[in-house]
This record gives sequence, structure tokens and C-alpha cells, in this order.
Amino acid sequence: MGLRKWLVGCLVLACVIGVGNMVPAVADEIVIGGQCDRTGPTKPVGIQICPGVLDYVKLVNKQGGVKGHTLRYIEVEHGYKVDRGVEAYERLKREGAVALLDYGTPIVYALTPRHMEDKIPGLTPGFGRADSTDGERYPYIFPMAASYWSQIGAAMQYLKDKGGTKKGSKIAYLFYDNPAGREPLAIFNRICEMEGYECRDFAVPAPGVEMASQVLDITRRMRADWVVGHLFGNAPSVSIKELKKNGFPLDKVLSLVWGAGEEDMRTAGWDTAQGYLGMQFAGVGRDFPVIQDIIKMYQAENQEVPEYVGWVYYNRGVLVAALMVEAIRLAIEQEGLPVTGEKVKKGFETIKDFTLGGFLPPLTVVASDHEGGGWVRIYQTKGEKLVPFTDWFRGYREIVLDEVKKAAKAEEKK
Amino acid sequence: MKVSGTMEFFIDLMTNGLLVGLMYALVAVGFVLIYKATSIINFAQGDLVMLAGYGAAVMLGLRGLPLWLMVLILCIGMIALGFVLERGILRPMIGQPLVSVIMVTIGLSFVLQGLVAIVWGAGTRKLELPVPLAPYVVGPVFISPINVVAAVIALVFLIAFGLFFTRSRLGVAMRAVADDQQASMVVGIRVSRVFALSWAIAGLAAAAGGIIWGNMLGASSLLSLVGLKVFPVVILGGLDSIGGAIVGGLIMGAVESVAAGYLDPYVGGGTKDFIPYVLMILVLFIRPYGIWGHETIERV
Amino acid sequence: MINREAGVFQTSYSSDMALYTLPLAKITVWVTLGLLLILPLPLMLGNNEHAMSIVNTIALAAIGAIGLNILNGYTGQISLGQGAFMAVGGYTAAIVSSRYGMPFWFGILAGGGMAALVGTLFGIPSLRIKGLYLAIATLAAQLIIEWTINHVSWIGGGAQSSIYVDTPTFLGLAFNNEFRRYYLILVFFLLAYFAAQNLVRSRVGRAFIAIRDRDVAAEIIGVNIFKYKLLAFAVSSFYAGVAGALWTYYLRIANYENFTLGVSIEYLTMIIIGGLGSVLGSVLGAIFIKLLPIVLDLSVIRIAKGVFGIPYESVANFLANFQLFIFGALIILFLIAEPEGLARLWENVKRYFRLWPYAY
Repeated sequence: MGLRKWLVGCLVLACVIGVGNMVPAVADEIVIGGQCDRTGPTKPVGIQICPGVLDYVKLVNKQGGVKGHTLRYIEVEHGYKVDRGVEAYERLKREGAVALLDYGTPIVYALTPRHMEDKIPGLTPGFGRADSTDGERYPYIFPMAASYWSQIGAAMQYLKDKGGTKKGSKIAYLFYDNPAGREPLAIFNRICEMEGYECRDFAVPAPGVEMASQVLDITRRMRADWVVGHLFGNAPSVSIKELKKNGFPLDKVLSLVWGAGEEDMRTAGWDTAQGYLGMQFAGVGRDFPVIQDIIKMYQAENQEVPEYVGWVYYNRGVLVAALMVEAIRLAIEQEGLPVTGEKVKKGFETIKDFTLGGFLPPLTVVASDHEGGGWVRIYQTKGEKLVPFTDWFRGYREIVLDEVKKAAKAEEKK
Repeated sequence: MKVSGTMEFFIDLMTNGLLVGLMYALVAVGFVLIYKATSIINFAQGDLVMLAGYGAAVMLGLRGLPLWLMVLILCIGMIALGFVLERGILRPMIGQPLVSVIMVTIGLSFVLQGLVAIVWGAGTRKLELPVPLAPYVVGPVFISPINVVAAVIALVFLIAFGLFFTRSRLGVAMRAVADDQQASMVVGIRVSRVFALSWAIAGLAAAAGGIIWGNMLGASSLLSLVGLKVFPVVILGGLDSIGGAIVGGLIMGAVESVAAGYLDPYVGGGTKDFIPYVLMILVLFIRPYGIWGHETIERV
Repeated sequence: MINREAGVFQTSYSSDMALYTLPLAKITVWVTLGLLLILPLPLMLGNNEHAMSIVNTIALAAIGAIGLNILNGYTGQISLGQGAFMAVGGYTAAIVSSRYGMPFWFGILAGGGMAALVGTLFGIPSLRIKGLYLAIATLAAQLIIEWTINHVSWIGGGAQSSIYVDTPTFLGLAFNNEFRRYYLILVFFLLAYFAAQNLVRSRVGRAFIAIRDRDVAAEIIGVNIFKYKLLAFAVSSFYAGVAGALWTYYLRIANYENFTLGVSIEYLTMIIIGGLGSVLGSVLGAIFIKLLPIVLDLSVIRIAKGVFGIPYESVANFLANFQLFIFGALIILFLIAEPEGLARLWENVKRYFRLWPYAY
């Protein structure tokens, strides 16, 4: 009986503290927010991206904020669950957020109607829905980085230009069997047909760790020339090991943006992963002014710089935060205070040639292109680092834009 | 490299599947052990594997720790954990409705996941074993060494378990308790000790599973999903048969691998997900207790 | 006293068979209904859509939980496929509404009906297998349905496996904010609740309970096990389908990731914590399970900041996993303390006051 009373008491206490304690925004503050997945299926990525965002916001505040206003970034853990993502969105809206990071493709889908209704911009860098490139149909969703369609287009372009593929080449597409993984399929198949490649796709069922037969097929039966990988979570490292086990040369494997982080290499083993090619949409490494500033910030506080600073996913977090800050800055400059979601949206659409010190390709966002051009860069695993392999490029842009238009028409018909 | 024809492909898939099947069997045995002795369905078995995997990875990461020492510490640790879990969490639940006990194991699974992430961080860790990655070529077939090692370890464990249950006093006592608790108490067997022992051995099986699967997949929270994979194996073989778990694992592994290899292109992938369950349902229609399960006679 | 049966005399069969016979019970029910109806008002004044969304989520979960309890708690058939049946309902509603332009109430009914059909189909194995074996067979349902939605475009809506629906409207009023959606969900929630309460007291309900307790004996006295087991699956899946369809209209999208295995396990957790075999328990369990992560989220962060002065950044990882840990630990502790769930706690309270101030 004592245990029960104690239990009930604790619960009541937690409720009282928790619910009755939502801090309202301070007048001079600008609030932004986002969800994060630190406990769910994409946590290898989440535990780097989210600190990236937080660190950049801290840096900006230390440097005087955005036009003198402090930024407050609120992170809400949702474990990649849609209903918690919805609750997070409502909570952030209540706190007055003017821009949000939506974490996770299914969450982006679920929240799109709300973003449109509430007129709060949502960022979905490098994932989300490829058709949100069309800013005229989705004014409040901003991919701000190559969507999956652009990524596959660029990948195929690389294969053609530098990978030595020609008519009759065999290309395997190894992907995670969920909507995000399947999104590039249409373009993949279209390009294959156009170029006369022999293509096959191989789905890896969730949770993405069993792909032995698929890899066997790719390496032994199909004997592919190239493998384009679109895996995330823990799957990329398993795929590296499996391919290596079957003797497939890793420098003929090109992974889309979520399958090429340092953590993946480390888990598979750096020596195993030599030569592996990965696509990125943000700079990798610590060699950029903004990352150096963050490192100085840690040192100024006498704190150890975490090892993931400068890594692939961390840098993407920094990118997201930087974009939000830039948009808010432009919004204040052009439209003045107080900052609202609508003004920030316009701010986003006026971002021009934004590179953050070489971190990005010159990013220009306009109403019809919320992607910013779809630029990517390929890095290769060498030693214990990722080194740049190509410069910024993009590929098959006309096909990608055509698919966007097709998607728009299909929606309108409904 | 030889060009692989259809036959070689099939053999490849088959060998691969069988070897993976043995690894399934290892985890399945831990599960069956607990069920046999205590009638509890341990939803947290996969999480025990995960815990063991992390433990192994972390210990191997410490400089200068030889492999055999790590294995020893891990096994002792997991056995001890089994005892602790049984005492702390399952003992108070004796006599409670079965569903509540199952729920407790589900809660335990959350606890383990959160705990592992708090203590060791959420990243995936490498479990380095001194096994080469390059495949052996045996005739037309490529066999990867880690699968062989895993199969050997699994076989050793399974044979050891088999001997334990048939030859040793304690093992026979466990079987007696699984059969009829009341009768065992009459003959003087200490049932509570048997319960504790079954959890301890399940912990040991989890340790072996953790090392092997951790090497294959990397020590991460995903390992707990292996536990889920094991359900159809256990059902197929029969919930209370260790031999069933082994054979079930082999069958499941082989079927999964071959079916995925041949059916995937036609159905757009993902057959691995549900083929085990389809197979399981088909078998259940013919033999509702699994192939080797004991038919429970119901008394009104 | 108003809370005891002594002195309360019924004068007609109908009042004798009524759901709530005690005066106190009747008053409580009416007051609760009234409160539920005016619940959004204070929130609307505070423009607190966030709190409303939490309430909505709980109400939706409760409908699904009630359905699962009918199957699991009353009929004793363990099912791990609740998420999948909800998905069936959700996608049916989405297809019906987005492709054929049917209004939402039709979509909900269609969703429920389709789910009932599918549920009955997957319930057929229950005639041969029991217990854990059945549970895993329903797990098969979960995976097969997920796979089908993912791979069959006609059902799943193409590569994205999600289908958008327009904001539902009723007589020209669009349900476009949380408060209006609350009323939409409330209607269905009340229907579901009272229908279930009545179902379990009826002949059908008694048949279910008989099957759960001793199905061989039930068969002997003439209960048609075949029919009632399938009926249990059908009813439970109908509830799941309705819940799934409502989710679709609530989110304006049908996305299978709302209905994964994790969701099925979540519902199982809800009814076990809430109390098997109790409709009220399902609701209490839904409240507990849905509210707990949010409360933990808010309170743990506040405590860390306020009491220990630790900023969010340095402990974010720890906090997020700590919540998971606490969640599991609370479930375990709760079950050790009260294995029959929240409903039993409530019963204890009622029983205590029934005898008060006497001890026995």
C-alpha cells in the first residue's frame, strides 16, 4: 500500500510541475523550435543534428542575437512518432515559434496541413517531401536542401559523367523499404529507361538490418556495376559490411545523403569502409569559419568539444539553424517587427547566394523553388575522415522539375 | 570470380539462411527456456541481447582487454542480471494474471533501452571480433567467416544446453518444473530456484546472442528488434521445445533467405518481413502448438 | 445515502436494467458529460490549442483502447494487430473521402466496416489457436497489412504511402481548429463508450466473458464459440477502424507510420494498465499512457533547469532517454503495486466509500 501511495504522489507532483509551468515568451525574444528524435529509430542522426541546431543558436545569441534580439530554440523529443510530433507542433505553436524544424518524413506529411493553416514555415532539409520544392503549392514547407528527387538525379548524373556508366550498365538501387526510401524510385527508373541502363531495385525491410539476400543478389546474381544506396538509421553500416563481405568494391557504391555519416563508417569499421562514396548537402569537417566559431565557444566555456562537432549530421543541424536565422534576419530587415511566421516565410524566399562561409553552395530560394537549387557534393571515405570527392553539382534537373510539375498536376486533379 | 548461375545462387542463399537461422535459434532458446520453466513470455529477451551487445562492445573498446576475458565477464554479468531480474521483478508478480506479467516484461524492455542509452550513449558501437571479413570460397559458394563462427558458437551452446537438460540433475529438475510445478514440489524440487536458474541461463543465451549479433549489426538499440524476429521462430518450433527452437530457427532462416532472394523482385521487396509469419500461420493451421510443441490438454 | 443501493427501489424493468442505477452514479455521469461538453471553453479563452490537441489525442486513443479491451479483456483473445486494423480504417476513410468525395461520417463508417471485415478475417486463426500463438498470428496481421499498404499503390496512395483528405465539414462548418475537432471526436467517443458499456452487459458480452473464462465449458452450455469469437474480432476491429478513420480526419492525412507495431503495443499497454475487462479502464489507461510522456517531458526539463540549473543542451540526450527509462519503470512499478490496473484502483475507491464510515 505504501508503494501505491508513493507512486500516486509522484505522478501528481510531476503533473503539477509539468503542466502548470509553461514559460511565456519574453518580449524581446524570438522563438523558434523543432522536434528531435533522440530515442527512436533515427537516433544516430538525431543525437548529432539537434545539438548542431542548439549550438548554432547559442553562438548567434553570444554574438548579439538576430538584430539585437535573442533567439530561443525549443526542442521537443518525439521519438519519430507522429502523434507526439503533432503534440510537439502544437506546443511550439503555443510558445510562439515563427519557424520550425520538422524532423522526419512522416511527420512532415502529417504536419503539412497545419503549417499551411497556421502560416508557420517548416524546414525539412534533405528529407521530407520532394514535391514541396514547389513553393507555390506548399508555401510554408521549405526543403532548403536537395530533396530525394534532386539527390537521385545528381547521383545518376555522377554515374554518367564520372562513374563510367553507359548503355547496358547495371545499376542497383538499395533502399529502405518505406515511403522516404521509395520516393526516388520513379526518377531512378525514368533515368534508367532514358539512358538504357539495366536497373533493379532492392528493398530492405525495416528496421533495415537484414539485407543479406539482397546484397547476395546484387553482387552475385545481378553482378551490378554500381550500387546507389538510400538507407538510413543503422542500415548504412550494415550495408557497407555486407557489400564488403561479398567482395563488392565500395568505390562503386554511392549513398544518398543520410547514409554517409562518420558514425556509419565507424560502426562498419573505417578500414572496411574505405572508398565508400557519400552524398552531402552541407560541408563536412571543421574547416569552416562557423564551425571554428562554435569550437571557440566551447573552449571559452572550458568545455570539451564533443567529437561530433564537424561531422556530417551535426553540420546539417548547424545549417538548419543558420537558415532559420538568416530568414528571420531578412524578415526583420524587410518587414520589421514583430516577427511572425508569414514574415519569416517571405524572409526565406529572399535568401540569395547564402553560403555561410563556404559551408554551402550559393543557396538561393524563391517562391517557385523552395529547395534552393538541389546542390549536392560527394565525399569519399579515406583514412578516418570524409574527404571531398567532387565539387558542388546537381543533375538531371529538368527531369526533377518535371516530376514536381507532374505531382502538382496530380494533386490538382483530386 | 565465378559467374553465379541459378544453382549457385540458391546454394548461396540457402547456406546464408541456415547460418543466420542458427543465430536466431540462439536467441530463441533463451526465450523458450523462460517460457518452459515459468510460462512467462519474455518480451525483453531482445533487449537483453542488446544489453549484452553493448556490454561486449564497450568492454572490447577498453584497451588491453583480451577477448576471452570479455566473454567471461559478460557471461557472468548476464547470468547475474538474470538472477537479479527474476528476484526483483518477476518474483513479486507470481500469481498475478499472465498478461500483467507480460506487460512487466514490456516495461522492462523500455527500461533497458533507456538505461543503455543513458549509460552508453545513443550511438551505435562497433563490436570488433578477430574474424576476417573476406569470404571463404568453398566450391561455388561464398561463405563469410563470421557466419561460420556464429554458427559454431550457436551449436556449442545448443549442444551444451541439450546435454544440460538431459544429463544433469538441475536440468532434469527444470524440465520437471516445466511439466508440473505441483508434482515437482512434492518430489522436493525447489521451484523458486528453478525459476531463477531459467532466467540466468536465458541471460547467458542473450550474452552469446549479443556478441554475435552485435558484431553483425553493430551494438545499437536495433538489437532489441532481434527479439521480435524470434517470435515466429519460437511459435513455429513450439513454445516449449528447445529442439523446436533450433529447428525452427534453421527453417525460418533458410525460408526467409531463399524467399527474399526469389520473391522480392516480383513483389517489390520486403518479403523478409512477412514470410516468416505466413509460414508460421500455415504451420499453425496444421499443428496449432508448433511442430514440436506440447499439446496442452484443457480441463474444464 | 446517495452512494449506496440501500433505499433505492426500481419500479420498472427498464430502470432496473439501466446502466447507472445509483443516484450518485447518475449525477456523476450527467455532471461529467456536462464538463466534457464545456471543456474547450476555458481553453478557447486561453487560446490553448496545445492542451486541446492533447485531449483530442487521448480521446482518439481511448476509442481504440476500448475496442482492444473488448477483444482482449472481455474475450481473452490477445491481439497485437490493433495498429494494423486502425490503419485499415484510416486508409479506407482516406480513399473514400479523397477519391470518391464522400463526407466524413461515411468515411468513418466505411473505415470501421472495412476494418471489421479485415479483422474478422485475421480472427479466423483464433478458432484453432490460443494464447501467445494467437498473439503472434495477429502480429502477422500487423506486418502483412503494413506491407500491403506500403506496396500496393491503389491502397496506399503511391510511393509516399499517405493520402491526404480535406478538412472535414459538417453542414458547412469546417472542423479546422482543435476545438471544433474536439466536438467531432467527442461525439464518437461517447458513442463508443456507451455502446461498449452496454455491449458487455448484454447477452453478447456475457458470451465473450464466458469464452474468456472457460471456453470449453461455454461451448458445452451452448455458446457458439465460432460465432462469438469472430464477432469479438469484428467489433473490436470496427472500433479500431473508427479510431483510425478519425485519426485520418484529425491529421488530414492517412499515413501508415501512425499505425505501426509500436502503436499496437502501446494500446496493449493502455488496456493492461487501465484494467482488462473494464471499459472505464480503457479510458483511464489511454489517459495515463498518452499523458505520461508529455508530463515527463515538461516536468523533467523544468526540474533539471529549475532545481539543478542544468541547461537543456548538455543533458538533452540523457533527458530524452531518461523519460523512456522512467516510462518503463513506472509501468513495472505500477503493475507490481496494482496488477489489475487503474480500474481496480477506482473500484477500490468506490468500495471504500460505499461502506464509509463503516469498515465492513
